Amino acid sequence: MRRSEWIENPLERLIAIAGWAAMLFLLFPVVFTTVVSFGAGELIEFPPSGWSLRWYAHIGEIHRVGAAVLYSLLIASCAGVIATLLAVGVALCLVRLPVPGKALIGALVTSPVAVPIVALGIALIQFFIWLGISFTWYSLLIGHLVLVIAYPVRTLVASLSLSNPALEEAAASLGAKPLVAFFTITLPQMKPGLISGFLFAFLISFDNYPISIFLVRGALTVLPIEVFNYISQNFDPTPAAFSTIYTLLLALVIVWAERRWSIISLSVASEGGPGGKRSDR
Amino acid sequence: MAEAVTPLRQGSGTGLAAACLLGPAAVLLIAFYAIPFLRMITESLAPANAGAGWMGMSVEHFERLASSGRVQRAFTRTLRISGWATLITLVISFPLALYLVRAGRTIRTAFLIALFVSLASSLIVRNYGWLVTLADAGPVNRLLIALGFLNAPLRMVYSEGATIVALVHYAIPFMTLPIFAALLRIPSSLSDSAASLGAAPWRVIRDVIWPLAMPGVFGGVVLTFALSMSAFVTPLMLGSPATAMISQVAAEQFLVQLAFPFGSAIVVALVLITFLIVVVFTLIVRKVFRAQV
Repeated sequence: MRRSEWIENPLERLIAIAGWAAMLFLLFPVVFTTVVSFGAGELIEFPPSGWSLRWYAHIGEIHRVGAAVLYSLLIASCAGVIATLLAVGVALCLVRLPVPGKALIGALVTSPVAVPIVALGIALIQFFIWLGISFTWYSLLIGHLVLVIAYPVRTLVASLSLSNPALEEAAASLGAKPLVAFFTITLPQMKPGLISGFLFAFLISFDNYPISIFLVRGALTVLPIEVFNYISQNFDPTPAAFSTIYTLLLALVIVWAERRWSIISLSVASEGGPGGKRSDR
Repeated sequence: MAEAVTPLRQGSGTGLAAACLLGPAAVLLIAFYAIPFLRMITESLAPANAGAGWMGMSVEHFERLASSGRVQRAFTRTLRISGWATLITLVISFPLALYLVRAGRTIRTAFLIALFVSLASSLIVRNYGWLVTLADAGPVNRLLIALGFLNAPLRMVYSEGATIVALVHYAIPFMTLPIFAALLRIPSSLSDSAASLGAAPWRVIRDVIWPLAMPGVFGGVVLTFALSMSAFVTPLMLGSPATAMISQVAAEQFLVQLAFPFGSAIVVALVLITFLIVVVFTLIVRKVFRAQV
């Protein structure tokens, strides 16, 4: 469509209006939450009758928030790093090696995101109780690993498929050892996939509630559970302050990663974002 | 025809290399995904009285599931909520994807970043955003009162409607991004030639763009439907016990009732029903649109 058609054609105008309306729908809750977080009142009100920063100070009052943040960071970092490392092997195998049953392997590895997350949590807690390792931090980590491994597999397969094997052949024919060729040629080409795969694995783990609610008891706790509990027991704007900080940090990370590694173009090229594989049958 | 030889494939160690590369992930997924799921399926078939049943298996939990009014209502409600959420998400996302393809570079990048932040954002944070937006003293109620549509605030949160709104909000990036990717692959020459042959703009969209975008639409629809069917956190935060979806009922069997076999049976039924609907939907789309999906 040429730009001039835009103005003249009523249908094009309608599409533009619908596009902006959809974007506003997406942004409104974020905007309202941010405004509410600066309110002075004891309850959620919009627009707030007065302004204050006290709800930001009040974030510390969320039950066990310190321990929850530390556990969440620990689990999400470990899950992100381990899932990405495992995914490098899977992706190399799927894209570069002539192994039989690639479709089956791919389907198995990416299917944990297609089953209901609650089902995963339920299946795992029964299994961990049977093994006698329930409610430990490493059983929680294992649960998160199973859930998140699909994301780096998907982004790494995408960036490997886009990369050029001829470069490795050139390196090999010039006498580079396989490992040298891997670290100097293949790995740099996988970088966008590594970054966005790790990022999504980390974020999915950091935010997970439905698996953690089954795998967590007693002293072990994670951030989504404590924030969820706070929201269901209190009606003050503290979670709004938390949400504002969370969204701001996340937006900064995404913009930075997009600028540096074009993670968005990679995900669109691989059809529909890192979550796209959730539909895998 | 000689295949390209990459350094990884040099020599005869392909099998060994594949085993080393796949091994760790395979061990993880077999031990902590395949086996737990198989155990859950056997659990759902375990008879209440040990030793009873045919070969130690019994469908009594599934019979109980079929006769439980609460479970049946939750299933119907889950199907209804998922159907509406998927339809509304498609209606919002398709024009958004069309607009993304047409928009200039700056707007497109800004919109894509917003979609991505939304996709990567915390589900609890996003649902809380709707608790604020739809609150009694929230912006929607205040606006409706200011415009004279309401005299007193309307209780909008903790309802089926609020759950659908939040599910739609959650699913928009999952629907928009595959459609956008499919639209990008349609050569602009196609719509140009359709237009130059005299097709009205809306006919170009209906007869050229929409069928060609079908793989993306299909992907988005299946994804949104599956996400809604298994929704747990969203109905927990924006619904009430009276609007419980099936994942909540299953979780309750584990966390409150401690009825593991019955809870397992509910989860197995949910997976089977979702799978069946997706298969039927795939066949319909293949037949009607002749699309390769």
